[in-house]
Amino acid sequence: MQFLYSGLTGGSIYALVALGYNIIYNTTGLINFAQGEFVMLGGMLIYTLFAVFGMPFIIAFPLAVVTALIVGLLFERVFINLVRVKSDINLITVTIAASILLRDFAMHIWGRDTVTVGEFMPVKSIELPGGVISNQSIMVIAVGACIAFILHLFLKRSKYGRAMRACFDDMTAAGICGINAVMVRVMSFGVAAAVGAAAGVLISPITFVTYDDGLMIGLKGFAAAILGGLGSFWGAVAGGILLGLLESFAATIMPSGYKDAIAFVVILLILFVKPAGLFGKRMAKRV
Amino acid sequence: MLKIKSLCVSYGAVEALANVSVHVSEGEFVSLIGSNGAGKTTLLNSIMGIVPSAQGEAIFMDKSISSMKIHQAAAKGIALVPEGRRVFSNMTVLENVLMGGFSKSSKENSEKLEEIYSMFPVLKERKNQLAGMLSGGEQQMLAIGRALMCRPRLLLMDEPSMGLAPLVIKDVYEKLAALSKTGLTILLVEQNAAMALKYADRGYVLENGRIVLQGSAKELLGDNEVKRAYLGKEYKEKWER
Repeated sequence: MQFLYSGLTGGSIYALVALGYNIIYNTTGLINFAQGEFVMLGGMLIYTLFAVFGMPFIIAFPLAVVTALIVGLLFERVFINLVRVKSDINLITVTIAASILLRDFAMHIWGRDTVTVGEFMPVKSIELPGGVISNQSIMVIAVGACIAFILHLFLKRSKYGRAMRACFDDMTAAGICGINAVMVRVMSFGVAAAVGAAAGVLISPITFVTYDDGLMIGLKGFAAAILGGLGSFWGAVAGGILLGLLESFAATIMPSGYKDAIAFVVILLILFVKPAGLFGKRMAKRV
Repeated sequence: MLKIKSLCVSYGAVEALANVSVHVSEGEFVSLIGSNGAGKTTLLNSIMGIVPSAQGEAIFMDKSISSMKIHQAAAKGIALVPEGRRVFSNMTVLENVLMGGFSKSSKENSEKLEEIYSMFPVLKERKNQLAGMLSGGEQQMLAIGRALMCRPRLLLMDEPSMGLAPLVIKDVYEKLAALSKTGLTILLVEQNAAMALKYADRGYVLENGRIVLQGSAKELLGDNEVKRAYLGKEYKEKWER
């Protein structure tokens, strides 16, 4: 049971990162490999605002997310918008380059050492059947679920969310409806950055933050997105949680050094056995 | 209302449209007929800003729309029902229709939505289904409904008969004729010349990127060359008559 609880915590984070991938994939058909960098950025921003400047968490959290959102918008304006030939392969390569740049910037600003964010609230352990769970973990799971739910409502109910889905279905037809496709692309990068940063904030007291965290968490989130089926909303959530659980339970049968390998074994298995992912039915509609 | 002056469009070295001039007056129903690859879709896409023009000018409501992006043309009041419908197949019928009113307020949209539902009752019945599940005719109705949501002044129709059964085609054209009666200006391009000319006021014939004939729909229907090339009648018939 203890593994279940820790798996859920990690899984919530992977789910948020996977959702970030999906937002951008679903509007532009791109994989943004800098998604993990936004997670790191979220952690670093909360460190700066909360631990260094001593702002109350309730202000620092939204501020960190909004800052990351702005960085996401700039990211699109600079890295994606300026690319002349916007083929998928060019743009994906650009996101990899951008992720390295972001990582190096972070190293110069925040240094090479791991920074400690501190606790957002007094840590308490709660007894549950078969194990204990800290209130931190509960917060990660609860806030993660809230963000996923808000995002779901945004995509389903709001006009702009629908415009993002329309752009994925048919970019030209979306333009005919009066939707500015470039605006939607900018927005999707902003939202994805905000979701990634929120994940980074949530996880920071548990794992601490290092400038190069983004790489690993980004790739694991990508594994979660592939596992659930790229582009599927609930697939990303399920894939993230499943990956968290797998990692956690694998620690019982394997040396914990292999923990990080699980995500990549999962990518391989999925691509060998069920390339569309567990919940990816809607794939291949894009023309 | 819409004036296109010696428009040229090329795809690389291939010239798709050469010196095409077309005009549509307020309230008119104009059909442009032509065979496969004549440049019909290119013309509409160029008006809409989907493909850039090399030369020439498109003027809508006394303003040049030549260099506009797609969404800007849409904001001007031009709506396109694209070839092959292109509904958002992963979204519900209702979401599709609402998407058409993207730039309008939700109050305006809910009024217009009722209007569209009364014109196409099938859209109301199926409003919660995914658009990709609809039949071709229903998708065509949906695409028209979606285009009407932005309250266009000019409706561009690209090949509404494509892939539809004759009875359904007739249904679609009846709806278009009804829309035209309400004062909507329509420019339609079509391979199905008999249908397109039957309902239109005026027509053009496009061949290899050039306008070769124009006139009232009646004149064109009676034209021997049109009869032979587009209405499937032989020269023999003409001689015998």
